[in-house]
Parts: sequence; structure tokens; C-alpha cells
Amino acid sequence: MGGLKKWFGDAVLICRRELKRIVSDGGMTLIFFVAGLGYPLLYNCVYHNGILEDTPVAVVDESHSVHSRRYIRKVDATRELRVAQKCATMAEAEEFMRQRKVKGVLYFPEDFGRNIDECRTATLSIYADMSSFLYYKNLMLGANFVMLDEMEKIKIERYGAGGMSDQEISQLIEAIPYEENNPYNNTFSYSIFFLSAALLLIIQQVMFYGVCLMAGTVREEGSSYLRLCDRANGPHVGSVVAGRAAAYWGIFMVIGVYIACLVPAMFGLPQRGNFTDILVLLLIYVTDCVFFATAWSSFFHRRETVLVTLLFISPIVMFLTGFSWPATAFPKFWRLFSYIFPTSFACPAFINLNTAGCELSQVGNLLNGLLIQTAAYCLISVIAARISRARVRGACPSL
Amino acid sequence: MSRQNLKNVILRELEIWRKRPIFVVAPLAIMAFCSLFYLTFLGDGLPSDLPIGVVDNDNSSLSRNFVRQLDATQLGKVVRYDTFAEARNDMQTGKLTSVCLIPTGFNSDLQANRQPKITIYINGLYFVGGALSYQDLLTMIYLTSGAVQKQVLEARGIPASQMQGLLRPVNIDLHKIGNPLTSYNECLSTNMLPGTLQMVIILILIYSLGIELKYNKSTELLETSGGSIAVAVGGKLILYTVFFTLLGMVVEVLLFSWMHFPLAGSIWNMMLDMLLLVLASESCAVFIIGICPICRFALSLGAIFSVLSLSFTGFTLPVEVMPRILQGFPYMFPLRHYYLFGVQEIMYGSGFSGWWKEVIWLLAFLIPPVFVLPRLKSAFVKLDYPKN
Repeated sequence: MGGLKKWFGDAVLICRRELKRIVSDGGMTLIFFVAGLGYPLLYNCVYHNGILEDTPVAVVDESHSVHSRRYIRKVDATRELRVAQKCATMAEAEEFMRQRKVKGVLYFPEDFGRNIDECRTATLSIYADMSSFLYYKNLMLGANFVMLDEMEKIKIERYGAGGMSDQEISQLIEAIPYEENNPYNNTFSYSIFFLSAALLLIIQQVMFYGVCLMAGTVREEGSSYLRLCDRANGPHVGSVVAGRAAAYWGIFMVIGVYIACLVPAMFGLPQRGNFTDILVLLLIYVTDCVFFATAWSSFFHRRETVLVTLLFISPIVMFLTGFSWPATAFPKFWRLFSYIFPTSFACPAFINLNTAGCELSQVGNLLNGLLIQTAAYCLISVIAARISRARVRGACPSL
Repeated sequence: MSRQNLKNVILRELEIWRKRPIFVVAPLAIMAFCSLFYLTFLGDGLPSDLPIGVVDNDNSSLSRNFVRQLDATQLGKVVRYDTFAEARNDMQTGKLTSVCLIPTGFNSDLQANRQPKITIYINGLYFVGGALSYQDLLTMIYLTSGAVQKQVLEARGIPASQMQGLLRPVNIDLHKIGNPLTSYNECLSTNMLPGTLQMVIILILIYSLGIELKYNKSTELLETSGGSIAVAVGGKLILYTVFFTLLGMVVEVLLFSWMHFPLAGSIWNMMLDMLLLVLASESCAVFIIGICPICRFALSLGAIFSVLSLSFTGFTLPVEVMPRILQGFPYMFPLRHYYLFGVQEIMYGSGFSGWWKEVIWLLAFLIPPVFVLPRLKSAFVKLDYPKN
């Protein structure tokens, strides 16, 4: 009983000491609080709009026909595109494109109108700026919408001329109508898909860098978590791991609720999930992140090493959540590699729960993944603490 | 005298590199790992076999044929479901990129001109997969619809010579400038690798200058440089510039020569772009440690700055989508100018006339550090900064 009491006492002491250390360290507060609280806001501001509209394009109309003019008018009327320049020659349009005043060119060749009049296929050329995929997407969507619309109009005329009745024509033109639904992201908004993944990533990365930085500092000062000045034998390894974990856990549960619940509400991101479900996910995820960070922190013996050597991993971890490149297309090695990170389970779980409105039972597999990971990292943290305890004792036999 | 001092600073720095190889090994290891990651992770640049759920309520020869054709496309891989509820469940949990619902009586309705409606559900939460499978489904529906039209027209005795004009009155001939294969790999790697390098430069340089302060070696450094802060910083910078430029050149060779990513212009101009990025990033590092000469604080600032630059560059989300008030912000990041320079050279091969403005921008980054050198010197001499 006394042992248990001491265990708890040590854990509480270490937790308090850790909290004090975090608050009194400028670099730490910058990472934990400014980055942890500020990044979600900044990303939301930057990505808030998320939809690119009225991408400027240039048109070169060498056909000067009623058909090409109608096409151009319709392109200008789409949500995606805006006719910014009307050029006489391709060379002129190319120059506008090179100056990046327009992000695409629509070229109507001389025979465009004649081909339509003579019942042949009329071809127009599109030149797309591929510097950002959003430009390309807009150009494709806008030009295709108009093409489909024009085709329908022309087909009605041509079939009518062939002696079909209106009903026959409409049945034939739309032989297989389709209805499309994009239930989770109606407008294909960049912000909804990006932020849903990025929000939870911030928790893990901020905690990882912060905790490793802290551990490096402690070791650099020649101190150790395993040393308590007033204890002859030092604390129990378990209470050290638990004490540190409790400190980080407390801070990041608050930051976590802010990031996963408050920020989406502030910026009007979809919140289709159940609050308690999200909370359950956060409980598991933050615990996992704490042990993930403490386990890795045992490798760092200098404060600065973690930022200098591992900051590059952040964008990589983001890709490994499968938010943009589909997880089914991951090469096998990278899929296995992704299991190192809690976000590989938590981000899809959050996207499914919060944005797609899943129930907790539907993301059971992902939660199990998180739990197994938590157990593994917890074990690694304890083993690492034991190893470093042996080292601390070796260096200082009086302990 | 000054030349001798410069030499001494360089020799001292080389000695530091020998004692603490992190300054050389870390950039090499990071760039090697990232090259491996970005260039292999995205494979051919366009995903294939995206899981598309199909609920075939008709089960006729026609619908089965439709499903087979869809499965045979490069982009899609069909997963069959008995009920819509199961398919919806898998889409909700992100296992499917889209779901296609074929109605009962699809075949008979089509034969009788009753226009059976196919319903598509797209998973817009997984952007690339969702958009591509949507495109794949639309193409299949369009082709099937076209086949029906062709049959009807043939039955009406329309000659084959007129068929094409009737079925496809307007066609689009698409030219993708700079990325003809719509490769995601090209779009991403050409920017993420230099982005990672700029991150490494900023952090390593802040660290290199910061530890002089941290371990009170700054006075020793100033003695070596003959009391001149310019020589002290310059000596370090010469070494790092050579090292990072070489590393950057390897990146360019890797991208455009080894991976054969399309490059309309010259690789030498891209080398120049890289050199300018290295110089501008180094200036950012000196500026950050200069305004805030505390190693731990400056590193955190450098980390925040370099991570933000990846988002603000504009190659994923174009700058014009950002709120107007933030649209000037991206110009603060060297990577943005590297990217704009690269667009001109990679896509258009426009040469000097296309990217001279970016050169001026990138060179302008060299000015601010000059103003913080006195502050850095006073920190180096007096050690008048908070230690924590």
C-alpha cells in the first residue's frame, strides 16, 4: 500500500515539475501554445475559402462563327472560368499565358463553325496551365460543361433534321441519365478535405516536437526524469512515465478539444459527428500521441536535434494519412511505414466520424489500431526509461 | 588580414563539422530520405485501381457488361455490393472513392427508351481519389450512352460516314502544358524537394549560429574572425552555400535528368534558381537568429516559418484562393519565388525575360540580414540575451 502511495506521489510530483518546466520555457510555450493554438486558426484562415472560381482564360477565335461565339459566352458564364482576354492570334494568347495573366487558352480553329454547320465533328483546342492542379481542374470542368451543353443543343438540331420527334430525341440524347451526389463535400472544397486531416495532425506534431525538445533539454542539463533530488533511490520507472504522460495528456486534451471541436465550429466546417464519439477518439488518440512522443523522445539528448533533424517529417506524415493520395495506392513499404504514426489511424477516423458522420462502431478497426499502437509505445517508453535509469545509476552510483 | 581571418573561420567551421557531423549528415540523410519518399510514394503520378463500389440491382447482361467495362478501366477497380447500405457504410469509412447504383430494370428500360437513371455518390473527402473515380464513372456512362445512340442511329440507316458527327459534334483537344501526363508526382516532387531543402537550410544555419551563443563560443568565433561579425557569419555562409548548393543541384539533376520530369527550359537555369533559393533561405536564417539571438527560440521560429512556406507557396492551393488580406503574405517566403521562377522555366522555358522579377525578389532577401548583423554582434560579444 505504501509502495502504491509512493508511486502515485512520485507521479504527481513529476507531473507538476514537468508542467512547471513547460510554462517557464519560452521555446516550449511557443511550440505548445502558439503553434498548437495558432496553427489551426491560421490554416483555417488560409484555406477557408477553398474554392477557386473564375479562373482567367484567353480565347483565340479564328472561326469567327456564331457557334464559337456562343461557346465563348457560355464559358464566361461558368462558375469555374472567366474569359479575361480575347486574342487575335495564338502567339498573343501564349504571351498572356507566359505572363500568367491567364491560366489557360481556348483555341477555336478556322473550320470550327463550318464543321458544325456541315454536320461534322468540330474540334477546339485547350491549353492548360499545369502549375496548380486546381487551374487544370477548373479548365477541364468549365470547358467540358459547355461542351456537353453545346453537344446536346447541336444533337437536338441534327437529330431533328433527321426526322426524329422531340420525345425520341430527348430519349436518345440522354439514353442513360445520371444523378450525382457528393454528400460529404458538396462543392469539392479544398478546405474541407485538407483541414479535416490537418487538424488532428497538428496535435501529434506539436506534441512530438515539444516533448522531444523537452526531453533533450532535460538531458542536456545533465539531469534526468529519473532523478528526484529528495529521493535516495529515485522514483519508480512507471511513475516517471505516468507522471510525464499525465502532464502532456492534460495539456493536449484541452488543445485537442479546441482543435477537434471548437475550431471546426468557429470556421463553419462540417461537424456531422457525435460529440461523445469525437471525445472517445480524442481520448485514445491523445493518449497514443503522448506515448508516441515520450517513446521517441528517449532518442534525443540535445534540445535542438529534434527540430533540426525531424521537422521534414511533418508533410510526409500528412501524406501518409491518405488524405490526398488514396491509401489504396500506397506502395506497400510506405503503407507499413505509415503505421508508425498515430495520425495514420486517427486522421481517417476523424474524417469519417466528423465529416462523413460515421458512428463509432464503423471506425472500430481504426480505433483498435490506435489502441494497439498506444500499448506498443507505452511499452517502449517504459523500456526506454528502464534503460536510461540503468545509465543514470551507472553514471552516478550514489543514486 | 581579413582574408586570413575568413580562412580561419572556415577552418574552424570545418573542425566543428568534424566534431559534430550532424551539420552535414542531417541534410544529406533528410534529402536522401525525402527524395526516396516523394519519388516512390506517388509512383507513376496517377493512382490506378481506385475502389469504386457498385450496387447492381438489375443484374442483366447489360449491367454486368457495364460493371466489367468499368472494372477494366485503368483508374477504377469495382467492388460489388448486394445492398446500398453496405456500400454506403464502406464509403463513409473511406474504403470507397465512389459508389454507383444501377437501378432495377436498367436493361429493359434502356431497350424501351425509358431512360434508366444511374446514381453516383462521390466521396469528396478523399480529393484525388474521389475526383478521379467520378471522372471514370462519367466516362463509362457517357460511352455506354453513346453505344445506345449508335445502335439506334444505325437502325435508322444513318451511314457510318455521318455517325461521328452525329454522336460527337464537338470535341476537345487538350494540351497540358508542363505536365502532359497529369502526373501528381511531377507537380509535388518538383516543389516539395526544394521545399524540404529550404527547411533544412533555415534550421541547420540557425542551429549553427545558435550553438555559438548557446555554448558561449561566440567570442571565440569573433576572435577567429578578427572581431568582424561579417567575416564570422560570411565564413560560415561560404561553406554552407557551397554545401547546400551542391545538394540542391543534385536535387535538380534527380528531378529533371534522372526522373525525366518535363523541363521546357534549361537545367542550368533551374540550377540558378536553386542557388538563389539557397542564398535567400540562408538570409532568412541569419535574419531570424539576428532578431532573436536565442538558439532555442530562433529554432522554433525558423521551424514555424519554414513549415508555413510550404502552404504559402501556392502550388497546391493557388494564392488567389487565399483571403485577400493574406495574399501578400506568400511573397515573404523564398520558396514562393523559387516556385514562380520554376513555373516559367519548367513550363514555358521562357528564360531570363520570364523570371527576372523573381531573381530580384530572391536577391532582395539578402538585404534584411545586413540590418540585424549589429544586433547579432552585440549578442555575440556581450552575450546579452536571455539564456532560456
